[in-house]
Amino acid sequence: MFLKKLFKRTAEKIELHDIQAIILRDRPLPYHGVNVFLEILHTASAKAFLKEIVPYVTNAQNWWDNDNAWLSIAFTYEGLKKLELPQSTIESFPDAFKKGMAARSEKLMDINENAPEKWDAVFKTAGNHIAVSIIAKNMDDLNSKKALALQVLEKHQGVKLCFQADFDTPIEGNFNHFGFRDGISNPEIEGSGAEQLNSKERPIKAGEFIMGYNNEAGNYYPMPQPMEFAKNGTFVIFRKYHSHVAAFNRYLKEQAKNKDEQELLAAKMIGRWRSGAPLNMCPFKDNSALGADATKNNDFDFSNDQNGKLVPYSSHMRRMNPRNSKMAVMSDVNLHRIIRKGVGYGPALPNGSTKDDGKERGLYFIAFSAKAMETLEFLQREWVNSGNFMSLKNEKDPVIGLNEGKGTFTLPGEPLPKRFTGMPTFNTLKGGMYLFMPGINAIKWLSEL
Amino acid sequence: MNIKQLTQDAGLKLKLYLATLGEPLDKAHEVTSAGDAGLRSGELSELTIITDLKPDGARNLRLIFETLKGNLTGARKVGTLHDMRFVFLENDTKLLFCTCYDGDWDTYINDFATKIPEMMDLIFGNIEGWPGIKSPTVKEFILSKQITASAWFVSHPNLTVADTTRLEKIGAGLNKLLEL
Repeated sequence: MFLKKLFKRTAEKIELHDIQAIILRDRPLPYHGVNVFLEILHTASAKAFLKEIVPYVTNAQNWWDNDNAWLSIAFTYEGLKKLELPQSTIESFPDAFKKGMAARSEKLMDINENAPEKWDAVFKTAGNHIAVSIIAKNMDDLNSKKALALQVLEKHQGVKLCFQADFDTPIEGNFNHFGFRDGISNPEIEGSGAEQLNSKERPIKAGEFIMGYNNEAGNYYPMPQPMEFAKNGTFVIFRKYHSHVAAFNRYLKEQAKNKDEQELLAAKMIGRWRSGAPLNMCPFKDNSALGADATKNNDFDFSNDQNGKLVPYSSHMRRMNPRNSKMAVMSDVNLHRIIRKGVGYGPALPNGSTKDDGKERGLYFIAFSAKAMETLEFLQREWVNSGNFMSLKNEKDPVIGLNEGKGTFTLPGEPLPKRFTGMPTFNTLKGGMYLFMPGINAIKWLSEL
Repeated sequence: MNIKQLTQDAGLKLKLYLATLGEPLDKAHEVTSAGDAGLRSGELSELTIITDLKPDGARNLRLIFETLKGNLTGARKVGTLHDMRFVFLENDTKLLFCTCYDGDWDTYINDFATKIPEMMDLIFGNIEGWPGIKSPTVKEFILSKQITASAWFVSHPNLTVADTTRLEKIGAGLNKLLEL
């Protein structure tokens, strides 16, 4: 198997058996899954539920021998309080985690059309305590794991299912709703045993992503105490985006004369062609073989394009990982990486349609970092909703920026740049929360408290 | 408040009005809070600290500044820093540090810890209680020492360092073009 070949057992340095699989392992492609939120009505019953579900939680070791469906569990701050963790542990969580994503909306630039007041009702209730997610490579695996989990849940009346959302690969062949190949670039984590797919990046210290290991500064980020509880855990960013695919298609049509120009503009906004082929490796025409080749489609940096003429500084891909770009503001790119395991939801819009069918579709953005709250605030303020770091004033990310019909997008050119204006927000935030995803031993520990 | 105080205050306000000839206040120069401490004006923020120096602190810092001949060009590397100044107070026992920078201070602290840790510790290691730039408590430490300015004026609150650099380049390019 291709992925198995890439996994080198000898390079393992972190406790894979205790780390939940979804954090480190590439999710299956295509994928099928479900996200569930549970409310804790009775603490003792919730602990009994956890004790019984722990054996089904998938770890990151020997992952190809595991079930073909991964189950992961994470907790909101309210949930951890309900579980009656020791007061000293509860208090030791970082402030932004305690306050929650909605309360930090100003810091996150989650304002105006993205403001918490406009979120789906389920994200406004206090009842989201435990999040369970199952992700599988086919429906049979998903259904059997789901049935197992439901059996456990039904035995424990003190835990109530309050939200369930199915998700699926949006477009056959692993494409997202906008028609671009999904799930390409993730940071390589030191000691995780995965082979490096980008020869120009070095592996990032595990402590940036998993608690209990050294970070890039040779230190630990603030984490819940005691260390034994935090070890092998991480923080989760969960954000639901509504994707306005028709508006995206419409914008391309309005701004570009013909199909080729539209495709080029779309690629410039993303940084890759629809196939996943990076623009700086094939600037003029999509290359679907390159796009589909996981060993090649992420093996680059921007040293061949310091002026952004191939991949604009403002493109989504370059903003989210500037890879050796000369930036106007000093920043350490390795500090602002996150592990992304986003999944799409909702039916696909017919190819190229410019008319909205009113159906809900979009992305559950799921990401992991040992300092998730700080990283998300940095990304949202500095790289998504500002252009200052690459000397483009207030220009925002064309894909996930809060553009509200006033967005601009600058394409460096010869001799003058070309500027696209009047860009709407293509992904509206419909809700979000921070979760703590403990190591497997830590779940056992808290189920036995 | 007594009548005398009220009269005095009214008099002061009248004098201020006359001194500024009733000029309307420009909204662009409004200041807001820069977060947990400090003021923000447009894209820019101020940070002011008065803190105790370690016994050899002033001597060490003077040596650093003299070696650099007062030229702190290295700070350009940061890219968000407009100015900074170091002033020794009370017989070299205290330090006044003032700076003006773009955006949020704390968003980039982690970057200092990996990009220029030696420089940060070489300078700020001379103040009492400095936990080290790599310490998880460094942000709290800075915040605890920060004094928010009571008033602050910036002439171009919407021009970041990056903007100024770009405009300087455009200006130079344009001049070159005109000379040809």
